[in-house]
Amino acid sequence: MSRPLVGPRLRRVLAYLPWIADHPGVSLDEIAERFDVRASDLERDLELLPFVGLPPYTPDRLIDVAIVDDCVWVRFADAFASPLRFTADEGLSLLAAGNALLEVPGSDPEGPLARAIDKLASALDAPAAIHVDVAAPDALATLRDAAAAHRAVEIDYYSYHRNASSTRVIEPWSVASLLGHWYVRAHCRNADAERLFRVDRIQTARALDETFIVPETASAIPTQIYEPSADTLRVTLDVEPNAAWVLDTYPIEDRTDLGDGRTRIIMAVSTNEFLARLLLRLGRDAALVAPTGARNDVEAIRTRILARYGASDPVDARGTMASS
Amino acid sequence: MADRLERLATLAANLLDTRIPLTLDDIAERVPGYPPDRASFRRQFERDKATLREIGVPVSVETNEFLGTEPGYRIRPEEYALPPLDLTADETAALHVAVEAITVEGDEGRAALWKLGGSTGMSTETLGAIPNLPALPLLFDAYRNRATATFTYRNESRTVDPYGLVFRRGHWYAVGHDHDRDAIRAFRVDRIAGEVELGRFGTFERPADVDPRELISDDPSRFATDAPVDVELRVDAPHVAEAQRRYPDAAMERESDGGAVLTLTVTSQDVFFGSVLGFLDGTEILGPPELRAAFVARLGSGATQ
Repeated sequence: MSRPLVGPRLRRVLAYLPWIADHPGVSLDEIAERFDVRASDLERDLELLPFVGLPPYTPDRLIDVAIVDDCVWVRFADAFASPLRFTADEGLSLLAAGNALLEVPGSDPEGPLARAIDKLASALDAPAAIHVDVAAPDALATLRDAAAAHRAVEIDYYSYHRNASSTRVIEPWSVASLLGHWYVRAHCRNADAERLFRVDRIQTARALDETFIVPETASAIPTQIYEPSADTLRVTLDVEPNAAWVLDTYPIEDRTDLGDGRTRIIMAVSTNEFLARLLLRLGRDAALVAPTGARNDVEAIRTRILARYGASDPVDARGTMASS
Repeated sequence: MADRLERLATLAANLLDTRIPLTLDDIAERVPGYPPDRASFRRQFERDKATLREIGVPVSVETNEFLGTEPGYRIRPEEYALPPLDLTADETAALHVAVEAITVEGDEGRAALWKLGGSTGMSTETLGAIPNLPALPLLFDAYRNRATATFTYRNESRTVDPYGLVFRRGHWYAVGHDHDRDAIRAFRVDRIAGEVELGRFGTFERPADVDPRELISDDPSRFATDAPVDVELRVDAPHVAEAQRRYPDAAMERESDGGAVLTLTVTSQDVFFGSVLGFLDGTEILGPPELRAAFVARLGSGATQ
């Protein structure tokens, strides 16, 4: 394994030096654990520190590190007596995580977390900088309680991808808020498979008396919400500059700059409805390159929508587009 | 050559220890480990300075009458040191729980906790994940320092005094006073292209009566680009709950088949059409006729080839 880059190494050293100086005789293991560093890297960096100091680099001007029986003492590190101030990214991340957790129903708005955030925000001169909305959908409390108590839940669920509602019985394993929405990871008894449901699309949730056991193979809540499998349909689209937002919004598996402002992308699509929604919305700003079979499915959906408006198949419109 | 960590730490110690800015000559004389050749020394010093700044060490460049035109370098201890936060043990523990429970992309929260004594080994179930974006820390810095931020948004340069950052429904928004429009506006941070430039510090006051959260519209039918139009939208039964969630301000009348007619004010036709298309053939725009016709025209003009 290669050693970490010098910047990240120094960053860690500057964080643990003041802490070791304040905790004489602390063990190497504890330092490694607290500061998330491999013991071998830690020892090597500690061996370098006795060469760090100030002119004239006499022993009393160099950092003194003593390691006895895996316990560490540090002296003469006065220049680094305080931890380095937070970077913008660190301050932001702490405040965002803290504010998010504070918004989760059940958090104590005046408890230790709220007080810590207040102190942090005022030290950073950022009193009202970060707001994290953790909207709590109606079904959230029922699902969190059911997940904690391992009770099955009957839900009425609206599937956006399928554009349809259904009633199912699920065994909720865990509930989490990811990228702005609450999800429940569950075993769906109707599908007899693992599923991820958006909590705000659960119209009603009724906890049942039946309990369940979470299998050891239960996956944790993913950080990527949409995980296409190898056999999911892949489509190739040419996207105009106007529709560049697509590139930031969906997980794109491959992209090529076509040189004329357009971008050719390959993305996984879970259902025909999903693809139709995307293409109909993009209109002239995107063209489906492959597979050609998907075109018929999208056209069928387009015709269905137009039929509601008493409009027939848009032959004219398609005719004008054939040249593009 | 000795390990670069050793030279970097020694450089930092020397810059922290001095009250008078150190010139390049001073640094070459005091800090061991640099090559004797002047050009290589300069190059390596510049690299070291950049590394220090990357990890957040505030290396300042100063000139004064003793130095003449030559710049001097130092690290002001008061700028270097983490100000005392006076956190109690339970407050520090609460921050650890927050960082464990809510992952902010990039995991910089964990690095922040090192500065508060590092991890204490407790683990909590993951409750959430929040994305991070390159522009966010810069906007946060602009907020903290009350500095005007300049950035490109929808191919236009915007100049904004940031009043706050809001994460809602999967997106980060920066809310602030837009100089060019002389109005308070919200900007999607992921649509900021390229660099965010900060102006001088302390150039504006944050208003006490502005709540950034109230300036972000939840309702996609209300993004203001066009004159407001009242629209009637028929929604079939399976989609009623989703439509209510999506158009929270709409008036709704139930119909006997379980469907509903929603009346809502649309201020951006484009955004509204995109949103209605989300329901595929589960909804129908009943009126006004012009909007209905525009929707049909828009739908007909799409091409899948």
